[in-house]
Amino acid sequence: MTGRPLAIGLAVGTAVFLITVPWLIPALIDSFWVSVITEILIWSLFASSVNLLFGYVGLLSFGQALYFGFGMYGTALGIDHLALSFWPAFGLGIVSAMAMALVSGVLAVRLTWHYFAIITVVFSLIFYFLAVSMKPLTGGDDGINFSLPPVLRLGGKAFGLTDPTFQYFFVLVVVSLCLFLKFRVINSPLGKGFLAIRDNDLRASLIGLNVYVLRLIAFVMAGFLAGVSGALFAFFGRYASASYMFYQVSGEAVVWTIVGGAGTLFGPLVGTALFIVIREIVSSHWEHHSLLVGLLAILAVIFAPKGIVGLWNGWITRLDERAAASPRLTLQADP
Amino acid sequence: MKDTVLLLAMNGLIWGLIIALIALGLSVIFGLLDIINIAHGDFFMVGTVLAWFSLSATGNFWIGFLVAPLAGFILGAIIQRLVIQPIHGAAALSIVATFGLSLILQEIVRITFGPTPRRMLAPIQGTVPLFGVEYDIYRLLAAFVALLALAGFFLFLHHTKLGIWMRAVRHDRETAVAMGIPAKSVYVLTFGIGFALAAFGGAVAAPITTVDFRGGVDVLPFCFMAVIIGGLGNLPGTVAAAVLLAFLEGLIQSVADPTIARISSLVLMSAVLLLRPQGLFKGYAK
Repeated sequence: MTGRPLAIGLAVGTAVFLITVPWLIPALIDSFWVSVITEILIWSLFASSVNLLFGYVGLLSFGQALYFGFGMYGTALGIDHLALSFWPAFGLGIVSAMAMALVSGVLAVRLTWHYFAIITVVFSLIFYFLAVSMKPLTGGDDGINFSLPPVLRLGGKAFGLTDPTFQYFFVLVVVSLCLFLKFRVINSPLGKGFLAIRDNDLRASLIGLNVYVLRLIAFVMAGFLAGVSGALFAFFGRYASASYMFYQVSGEAVVWTIVGGAGTLFGPLVGTALFIVIREIVSSHWEHHSLLVGLLAILAVIFAPKGIVGLWNGWITRLDERAAASPRLTLQADP
Repeated sequence: MKDTVLLLAMNGLIWGLIIALIALGLSVIFGLLDIINIAHGDFFMVGTVLAWFSLSATGNFWIGFLVAPLAGFILGAIIQRLVIQPIHGAAALSIVATFGLSLILQEIVRITFGPTPRRMLAPIQGTVPLFGVEYDIYRLLAAFVALLALAGFFLFLHHTKLGIWMRAVRHDRETAVAMGIPAKSVYVLTFGIGFALAAFGGAVAAPITTVDFRGGVDVLPFCFMAVIIGGLGNLPGTVAAAVLLAFLEGLIQSVADPTIARISSLVLMSAVLLLRPQGLFKGYAK
């Protein structure tokens, strides 16, 4: 058996599972887990913004929480202060995250590696402290609550995220669309440029790529992904809080991405799902579940430095090689 | 008004000397092992907790000054062997590994020490007149101890065999190994020293700040700032930057609230990163 049918089977299985979640999960476990899976989808989109920068352009951002926070606050303030309806508020969140990413990216992508990691965390800290101190507007660490406007009206009937099934599918569709967009970008000439910069930025510049502009484009795209996830999370929790802009939130996304497999499309999803599922299962039985999370992060980088998806891909490649090698072996043995 | 400015500036200066100790540990680990140590703030926090435990166990505050760095050194050496060595200096992986380490250390302290922050009483109470203000004696003593430790560390680095080995491996690992320096042991030693410096800083700072399992979270960005502004791997620069940053924050705090002070130093740091990524002090010290 070669790896390809195995991979296709897994993809189809996952897709079928994700589509049937709102009926399958309440029947098998508990309807609470539908909201856990919704949350996993949102956070995995956030992790994939780290992945786009680190896995495909080679820039390790430690400050993606800033754009998550802007997506979150853009949406929440749009509804709460400007009385916008659903879609304009969603748009405001995304646009403010991208605008912030553009402004900070213009400065940040001039730096690389350690310096880049540190300037991104510094930028996010600046706005974290600003958000904490502007309590009347942002609510500080306590955050602000708002009530959800309906998503759309069809034939006099209003559909809103207060319906858990509708909310789940809304998140699933938005996250899938974003991941599909990411997939298309990575496989476009632009994406090849990203990879060239990741592998060797000097060589990339010598073949005529504008490294600075490409990095900036990737940075704004990552801001888009983080902004969408922040806006979704604001809708999901019906609130926004400065605490989601702290550097530890960015750090978690880095951990999820690397444990899941940086530079792979589904790595962030796998890493996020793993950590959130463990948190949900263990934390209800054991107060000190972060011990397990910490241990898992350490074991993952020691035993699977390419991440879980990287491990899986290596396994598939070996299967393929064995399948390709075996006929030749019999040929050699024949005469 | 003048008194407040002076008081806050002095507080900043002394806090800067303590931060310098911690940041020095971070810089040594970073420079030699190429590890971005997310757990470094927690190494400091472990130091404050060790000081708390040794005070409550023995009733003698000063024993903490011995226990914290010693236990820190041993813990650091063990952690290097178990966690850091297997990842072979891959910086991205080191972030994940030390993030995990940070969670584990915080959780262990939460289990043993408890979730509530506590205040520790200074062993010497009272104030002395200094430049016209009444100043806390313990803080002055803390500054003196921190200065001694800084001087001791630089003496160690330049005048002992181990210190010279550390510098040699950092400078050129291949040659150092060829000359018979056991690089692997030097790495273990370096990580131990890095932890010990942070833990010692924690023991000195324990009566000044609160003892809390999340006490390292705020210290970490500050230490990174000092390391960057001082110039990566520039140890005297790190010390100077830590003192300068904390002093400036203290000064700004006397006219604005602490958050504004923190934001100003972050903005300063962005400017340094963008304009002088090699650090403020390149060319003044090597």
